[in-house]
Amino acid sequence: MTAPAAATPPPIELIGLNKWFGSFHVLKDIDLRVREGERIVVCGPSGSGKSTLIRCINQLEKNQEGTVRIHGRAYGASARENDAIRRDIGMVFQSFNLFPHLTVLENCTFALTWVKQTPKREAEALAMEFLTRVRIPEQARKFPLQLSGGQQQRVAIARALCVRPRIMLFDEPTSSLDPEMINEVLDTMVELAQSGMTMVVVSHEMGFARKVADRVIFMDQGEIVEEAAPEAFFTAPQFDRTRLFLNQILHG
Amino acid sequence: MSDVMTPAGSAFEATPARRFTPKPARPAPASTLGLRGWIRQNMFSSAPNALVTLLGLWLVYVFVSAIVSWTLVNAVWEAASRRECLDQVGRGGACWPGVVAWIPNLIYGLYPKDQVWRINLAALVLVAWAIPLWLPRVRSKLAIGLSLVLLFPFFASYMFLGGEKGPVWSALIALGLAAFFWVMATSAAEIATGRSFGRLVVVALGAAGRSDAYRRRLHVAALLVLYVAALAVTASLSLSFVQTRLWGGLFLTVVISGFGIAFSLPAGIVLALGRRSRMPLISLLSTTFIELFRSVPLITILFMFNTMLPLFLPAGVEVNQLVRAIVAVCLFASAYMAEIIRGGLQAIPRGQYEAASAMGLGFWQATGLVIMPQALKIMIPNIVGNFIGLFKDTTLVSIVGLFDLLSMARAVGEDTRWLGLFLEPFFFITMIYFVVCFSMSQYSLNLENRLSAGQRR
Ligand SMILES: Nc1ncnc2c1ncn2[C@@H]1O[C@H](COP(=O)(O)OP(=O)(O)OP(=O)(O)O)[C@@H](O)[C@H]1O
Ligand SMILES: [Mg+2]
Repeated sequence: MTAPAAATPPPIELIGLNKWFGSFHVLKDIDLRVREGERIVVCGPSGSGKSTLIRCINQLEKNQEGTVRIHGRAYGASARENDAIRRDIGMVFQSFNLFPHLTVLENCTFALTWVKQTPKREAEALAMEFLTRVRIPEQARKFPLQLSGGQQQRVAIARALCVRPRIMLFDEPTSSLDPEMINEVLDTMVELAQSGMTMVVVSHEMGFARKVADRVIFMDQGEIVEEAAPEAFFTAPQFDRTRLFLNQILHG
Repeated sequence: MSDVMTPAGSAFEATPARRFTPKPARPAPASTLGLRGWIRQNMFSSAPNALVTLLGLWLVYVFVSAIVSWTLVNAVWEAASRRECLDQVGRGGACWPGVVAWIPNLIYGLYPKDQVWRINLAALVLVAWAIPLWLPRVRSKLAIGLSLVLLFPFFASYMFLGGEKGPVWSALIALGLAAFFWVMATSAAEIATGRSFGRLVVVALGAAGRSDAYRRRLHVAALLVLYVAALAVTASLSLSFVQTRLWGGLFLTVVISGFGIAFSLPAGIVLALGRRSRMPLISLLSTTFIELFRSVPLITILFMFNTMLPLFLPAGVEVNQLVRAIVAVCLFASAYMAEIIRGGLQAIPRGQYEAASAMGLGFWQATGLVIMPQALKIMIPNIVGNFIGLFKDTTLVSIVGLFDLLSMARAVGEDTRWLGLFLEPFFFITMIYFVVCFSMSQYSLNLENRLSAGQRR
């Protein structure tokens, strides 16, 4: 990794992040800096706050304490400013969240048309380019519910990429897929990683983590317990909690 | 690239694999296919089933033949009074001349005969305005639909009411008329050339290559020309005043339910969003309004508005009885519509909103472009059901002294010539209600099928 010039602010910076759902403390003193082009895989037991963490990055969840900065810009000034910051971030969800009333192509051009005011023809060309990249250009005229889960998730990835985000967030993108379809989605993500995109991925696909992650983060009970390069993380985890978790998912 | 997951396939290679060949598909048994197969399977599959089928057919026959013989076979078509009918066939056949003589009143109420063309003209304008919404080549559908709901009422109100028109009222009427001119112009332009009216004007004046601002100014100028033309037409139009007391019959029913339908959908959307709002005051106000109007019968609301509204208004301000009824119906319908739409909104998963929000869409964009279209679509049957209910509920306005279709039908039997003729007019208006409501429900089915065509798994 070439170290970015000190002057350019990091893509994602979480400082002293705390979040509560009612009186329940979900995220506790989270500090995280993600470098340009860095790929981070977040894992941890269910309910440990992984989704909440990643959703704080684009402020789908608002944190009560601490600062979230994207490319040096902090959220919170105004709703308009928040929406502007968000446009640099693409997100892919566990349940795809494609818009069922629009075709695949319209799903992809949606943000271009309504957020970036791109002319229709240009938007469609761009959308087709990304649909080709995720290898489903032939499905462009279909509706999302007519596709398989794996295809839907690839459309979701293409849709997120269309606005040319500089950061991509993935929240368990393969956990609602049938086993045969997991690979086609992971392959797409590997290609994306190789293109140099800054990525934060919540996933339990350890093969994927080994292959593309620069850093693996393990969370439990709202805290970042351990973070390390994949090799160190999988072969020599420091904490007992991490070892227990790895034992469970690798040999369970 | 599929080494992303650790593949387990190689472990199997020690033993040779058996080959799996799927069985070919066979056609379904002949006895279950075709009309005969269907009849045998569904109507005569067993002795009890056959018995029920025959009993059902017999009942249908008895019922239909009774109706046909009363309405058609034994009916009287020419007579000067009910007495003559009774002399000819007694009570065994319908006496239609009474209904025929009253048809103008059943449709227009007591509206002056020589002015009825105004209602017909407005109805024609309404139809012409709405037709482009179904033409595939017309693209400005949203603008046409909105103008129909928002501006047609001005034009129609003047056509129906007539009378003196001050400058403000004239300006509004002309606005409605100009919108109609625009709808006609842009529909024609889009059908003929594929360009909207504004674009066509720009191109026709040879200004296609000029700057955006210049073209926009031309466009506005063209719209102004339409408006001035509409003003001129409005000024030259002077219609006699027809009091709302004379409005009645199907016409009145359509006016009241038309206002109710056009108002309740947008108002229901606003109320439903208000009720779900995170701002406590807005949510409280919307909820209070909805629950208040939903927990009181329409009759009561009509009474309240009729007798109590004048108490709240400053002395001297007179609100027309029809307006009072329309306001009551609109508010009542909105409260119901709000709950229907809220149901639709609740069926849309949170993820839809989150996906839109993650793309950088604001609340209103996400709501208007992602959530609301889906919510409205799944609620089409309920929304149209509500419209149908509303259309029928307008019969209640007879309570506050308005002569809707039902009251007019009742009036036939009180006419001295047709004294006691109740069944026939009721049969006639039943048919009218049935045709209107059934068409609405069929259209809703059709719409539902078309909209969800691409979306079934
Ligand atoms: N909107 C909410 N309101 C209240 N509690 C919530 C909400 N969302 C999440 N939680 C709680 O916060 C905790 C962390 O949730 P989160 O979804 O971040 O966990 P996770 O690590 O993503 O788990 P999983 O692997 O099951 O997705 C859980 O205990 C959950 O019940
Ligand atoms: Mg989660």
